[in-house]
Amino acid sequence: MFGYVKPFKPHMRICEYETYKAVYCGLCKILGREYGFVSRMTLSYDFAFLGLMALALNDSPAVVGPQRCIAHPWRKTSCLRSSDGLAYTAAAAEILIYNKVKDDLDDRRFLAKLFPWFMLKLTKKAYKKAAELYPGLAAYTAEQMSRQAKLEKDNCKSIDRASEPSSNILAEIAAGLSEKEEQKRILRRFGYLLGRFVYIADAFDDVEKDFRAGGFNPLVIGNPTINDLNLPEIQRRTGDSVNFTLGALADSYVQLEIKRFKPIIDNIVYLGLKNVFYDLIRKKEENEDIE
Amino acid sequence: MCRKSDMNDPYRILGVMPTSSDEEIRDAYRSLMRRYEGDDEKLSEITEAFDSIMNIRRGGSVQIPDGGFSEVRRQLQNGNYNDADSMLEGIGEKTAEWYFLKGSVCYAKGWLNEAYANFSQACRMEPYNPEYNSALRHMSETKGGYMQGDPNGNPYRGSGRTFGCSVCDICNGLICADCCCECMGGDCIPCC
Repeated sequence: MFGYVKPFKPHMRICEYETYKAVYCGLCKILGREYGFVSRMTLSYDFAFLGLMALALNDSPAVVGPQRCIAHPWRKTSCLRSSDGLAYTAAAAEILIYNKVKDDLDDRRFLAKLFPWFMLKLTKKAYKKAAELYPGLAAYTAEQMSRQAKLEKDNCKSIDRASEPSSNILAEIAAGLSEKEEQKRILRRFGYLLGRFVYIADAFDDVEKDFRAGGFNPLVIGNPTINDLNLPEIQRRTGDSVNFTLGALADSYVQLEIKRFKPIIDNIVYLGLKNVFYDLIRKKEENEDIE
Repeated sequence: MCRKSDMNDPYRILGVMPTSSDEEIRDAYRSLMRRYEGDDEKLSEITEAFDSIMNIRRGGSVQIPDGGFSEVRRQLQNGNYNDADSMLEGIGEKTAEWYFLKGSVCYAKGWLNEAYANFSQACRMEPYNPEYNSALRHMSETKGGYMQGDPNGNPYRGSGRTFGCSVCDICNGLICADCCCECMGGDCIPCC
């Protein structure tokens, strides 16, 4: 579910990549400081993107300076020192991760439950702190995750309906990135479509695995046999869904008042997302060649 | 090349759907005014498109067909797509306009696959309706990979702009002008 919203590095200038990394590092630092060491391990590109959006939409100062990093303690790296914009993103990250781990725990059986059970214990304290700061978001996320679980249990075959709860969660998170009512409306739509993209990409990534395990996946067409998943047709239909989603995403993106870091965000929105999908296609083609 | 019918489509100029809510139309208008600040020609084109849409909505120059769907449209324009959906579900006869408005509800909700299916059905039933074609065209372009505002450009819809001619259009125009000139005995561009 995480790691599908990232930049397309080949088309990024080095200075832009350094800025992107500084925001990523800054978020890692805030997570560590406010939510403990474990929360730093759960950081992903998606939250770095949300952090970047938070900074881009607001005027809060963003100071970058050299700091020591836990990933490479032998040298200092450019890191965003502190910013109000990242505090919200960090809390949203904790709420979402906790709910996702809880969902994993419910989905898995027997010994496979061990890891999510363990992660749930580790992330609970951080979740409680984040939920106290943003109780509305915490309650809404939990409600949508329940809806998601029910749709999957009912084997919902419509991508539109199946992706809705996850999209709603990201819509709600995105709406909190700006204080302006006018921007909130556009952000809600933007967040919905971004959540929809992530859901579809995740479903496509896992389609064979879910099918073999007898698990739910809305991209599986009809009731195929074990040898006849019809991956080319799934890929074609998913490609269409992804294109519709990214097109509508762009329609709302152009209405946002991006005050800074626009080239980096443009890279992620216009190049990063579609290349993540192309990479998934390439990975499946390579796996087919190996077989 | 930019088709004249495309250039006259105010929805296409603003990058919105025919049944986008009034708020969405205003958001699109404001963002385009910000983006093209200083470019008087484009600003007047955007303003003209916005005024034309608002005129239609206030029952101005063009009449919206009324088949019992005017209340549904009003709800959509006010952004109340759930109410619009309930009304549609209560209407038994599924005309082309029904499918178009159902598609609009789906589009507003973010149910894009169903939106496309409904718009396609509306266009199959009434192939020459400009409103239904505008909606379907908007989605068909995105199906082909088009993303509004793409700074990297997109070969299928021009270089990331919502309207205007691309460099290819200018070059084509000059070559045509040169050919016409040579037919008349002149030579506009000596090297061609």
